[in-house]
Amino acid sequence: MDVLVMITQVLLAILLAPLLEGISGQITCKFQSRRGSDVFQPYRNFVKLFKRSETLPENATTLFRIAPYLMFAVASALVAIVPVVYTDYRWGMVSDFFMFVYLAALLRFIFGAASLDSGSPFAAIGGSREQMLAVFVEPTLMLSAMVVAFLAKTTNLVEISNLVASGKIGYFIPAFTVAAVAFLWAVYVETGKKPFDLPEAEQELQEGLLSEYSGKRLAISQWALMIKRIAVIGLFVVLFAPWLKTGNPFLDFGIFFFKVGIFYIFTAFVDAFYSRYRLFQLKKTAAGPFSLAVLSLLLYVLGGIK
Amino acid sequence: MEKIYLAYLIGCIASLILYKQSRLGSLIGFSVAAVASAAGLWHFLTHLNVFEKLEIPFPIVNATFTLDSLSAFFSFVISLVALAASIYGIHYAREYEEKGENTSLMAFFFNLFVVSMLLVVSASNVFWFMVFWELMTAASYFLICFNDEHNTRKATVLYMTIAHIGGSAILAAFVLMAISAHSLDFSSFSNASLSPVMAAVIFLLALFGFGSKAGFVPLHVWLPKAHPQAPSNVSALMSGVMIKTAIYGIIRFATWLPLHEWMGILILVIGALSSLLGVLYALMQHDYKALLAYHSIENIGIILLGVGVGVYGLATGNSLLATIGFLGGLYHVLNHATFKGLLFLGAGSVLYRVHTRDMEVLGGLAKKMPLTALAFLVGSMAISALPPLNGFVSEWFTYQSMIHATIEGSLLEKLIFPASIIALALTGALAVMCFVKVYSVIFSGVPRNRKLWEKAKESPILMVVGMYVLVIGCILFGLGAPYVSKEIIQVSKFLTSCSYRVADNVAVYSTLPTSLVSPVMITIILLAMMVVPVIMAAVYRDSLSAVVRETPTPWACGAKYTPRMQMTAAPFTGALRKLVDWLYRSEIHFEETNGYFGPVKYSAHARDIFWEIFYKPVIRAIDWSANTVRKIQNGNVQLYASYILVALVVLLVISVSI
Repeated sequence: MDVLVMITQVLLAILLAPLLEGISGQITCKFQSRRGSDVFQPYRNFVKLFKRSETLPENATTLFRIAPYLMFAVASALVAIVPVVYTDYRWGMVSDFFMFVYLAALLRFIFGAASLDSGSPFAAIGGSREQMLAVFVEPTLMLSAMVVAFLAKTTNLVEISNLVASGKIGYFIPAFTVAAVAFLWAVYVETGKKPFDLPEAEQELQEGLLSEYSGKRLAISQWALMIKRIAVIGLFVVLFAPWLKTGNPFLDFGIFFFKVGIFYIFTAFVDAFYSRYRLFQLKKTAAGPFSLAVLSLLLYVLGGIK
Repeated sequence: MEKIYLAYLIGCIASLILYKQSRLGSLIGFSVAAVASAAGLWHFLTHLNVFEKLEIPFPIVNATFTLDSLSAFFSFVISLVALAASIYGIHYAREYEEKGENTSLMAFFFNLFVVSMLLVVSASNVFWFMVFWELMTAASYFLICFNDEHNTRKATVLYMTIAHIGGSAILAAFVLMAISAHSLDFSSFSNASLSPVMAAVIFLLALFGFGSKAGFVPLHVWLPKAHPQAPSNVSALMSGVMIKTAIYGIIRFATWLPLHEWMGILILVIGALSSLLGVLYALMQHDYKALLAYHSIENIGIILLGVGVGVYGLATGNSLLATIGFLGGLYHVLNHATFKGLLFLGAGSVLYRVHTRDMEVLGGLAKKMPLTALAFLVGSMAISALPPLNGFVSEWFTYQSMIHATIEGSLLEKLIFPASIIALALTGALAVMCFVKVYSVIFSGVPRNRKLWEKAKESPILMVVGMYVLVIGCILFGLGAPYVSKEIIQVSKFLTSCSYRVADNVAVYSTLPTSLVSPVMITIILLAMMVVPVIMAAVYRDSLSAVVRETPTPWACGAKYTPRMQMTAAPFTGALRKLVDWLYRSEIHFEETNGYFGPVKYSAHARDIFWEIFYKPVIRAIDWSANTVRKIQNGNVQLYASYILVALVVLLVISVSI
């Protein structure tokens, strides 16, 4: 039963990812007083790309050729381990916080290695930037999640989600609230939107890593990035907003994707009003959320003193 | 067990007898080592929980060797890497044969090195421990000397100096221990009555002494200089297992001493610092073997995090916490030996074909050496702790132990353990960056030096086999985590006399009630998900989509592409270098004198500030004092006669005045 649920969850995420992207694109266009294409345009783009022939640089090795498939698999696995519907703690064997973080690192590893493998100068600069971003985000992401893990006394995402949903831990604990804000920032950076990254940008930014890809491999890579975005937002939703569980899997999926959609629209807002930071500006920007994460740790420590 | 040690000794003697027929000698020497290690692997695995004792009568002190769970575990780790390194060595020795070295002698020292490590971890009295400890250092010293490069002598002198300072600290710790216990036997040490001050002194001496071998920050400076100089299969042994004997020593001392909380915390803090600084310096290296050596410092740090939690747990009487702490630490000992051995062997294969340790001139080697590239990729992913490979499992246990310690700790622990968690998380992110860099710059992209690339070809079969022994290890210790941790928990239980249900058939458990993880399940999910894009591509296929054209060069914005445009190792981590330059204090050389069309030269070299702060002043002081002393020793006989006269007068005055 749970396996079926997991498969449904992944398939839904794969199918809905381009739609959410289309909606957020539509909203961005509205902000900029443009008409924009309709929300189904990403699907059409993918179908078109799947039908095209491909060019690959001669120097590219097997790693470069299979990297899109690997990235897709890892991104889908990230979605699979977000406990949307299943509530049996045994699924913690895959749905573990560290598993999530290190799978995301695996995705980054493949992404970076493929970008350098292409031999393209721009892709490699993008690869370097992607790794640096992770260095900025990791401490905040980890510390804020750890505060939640300390409160829940486990790193099992299923269990944490259950505890928050049932109100055993939640926003009434100051440490949890502050951690949520810091975590939100980290999740936002991971989605790869402005001001930290620019998904559509060519050359050295996120999409720049894919500059030597074309045809179906490009489509698969782009799709993988969209799925990853859903996975990180999903992680935030199940940890910090797991309410309204009905018990009916289909209804729950609807609610989950609705919440993810709200977050997606929020990212479109932020995205539309900022210009992109240079990498070194991030040092200052990252300091704020990290101090929030430290604050949440202090609140947790102080809360422990009775 | 004696048969295994004997086999290595036979290897020693055989290669020494045959030293005139250097090729045959090395062939026999390395083959015997391989057979002995394979036998050892089996023996130590099956006898993990069997107590064995070997006593050889000897004048003054009988040589006693005991094999308890801890010794057997470390012996297993040593045998594993020795197996791969000796299979690899059979062919790799030819490299040195061509240089005119006596490879038979190399096989002799190799056998001696392995057997002395095995005897170090099984010796059970002070005298024999120290004998084999120094023998291990000496054997590794001679093995490094086989590489006769201009840096070698400097590196070995540094290595020997620090090894001796460390060795004397260990000896001092042992002597103090033996005086308190009135015996040189390890078995009587746990009954010694020690005052807290005495325990603290012994602990600090032991930590310093073993730390110099393990390469903690700030005692690490010799490691990235000496390890890369050794022949690659010896580097694998040195970085993979020799530094682990120091971890063994620290754990042994922890079982004897009355422990205190601060000891665990101290080990933890050193671990966190070593892991973070190790990886930060590793990122700045251009020499891929030095890079791997810096990563050894990082991984020793990660091991120490686990061991620190273990010691802290024992000190506070929380044996459950100690159990998972030691489990994480020991699991990482095994894992680090596996992937670091693998990476050094892979680096050796590259070096064997291209004869340069500067990665900036390599590139595209995956096309020429696909098997080596794959092995190196697996090693890189394992050391970056990516699931489902083995590094992930041990780091997961380490994380869990630190979370457990935070939850149960009081105010100070609630701050220090999370800080260590952050250090480990940051180390993880940086390690990914570093290994993307090192794998890609060596094996991917367009060759930066066409001539080197044309000459390169796949390494010989025995070297490939040596590497794949460890590749299998990386995969097996990851996917087979439940079975491996069931074994290692026995060792942990031996130390803490406490155990818990660590694994069922698919998943491993932490001591936190509901934390569990299963590398096998995630592998199944990953493989299943691979199918989806394949299906999608098949569904939307068109007559064109099967067409794949290869362009001769990557796109370069319309300009003519040259391999020089490619990213190299230094700029890939350039942003990081700028960010933490307060630590590196880079030396930057910038040269623009070649006119408008001439090349501009820019080089940035990160300095190891510990070298500048701790070592340079000492070296300068020694130099200065030697120079000062030289003035009174100028070779003039009359002057020496007057010295004797002065000494005589002084002695007379003293004796008269008394």
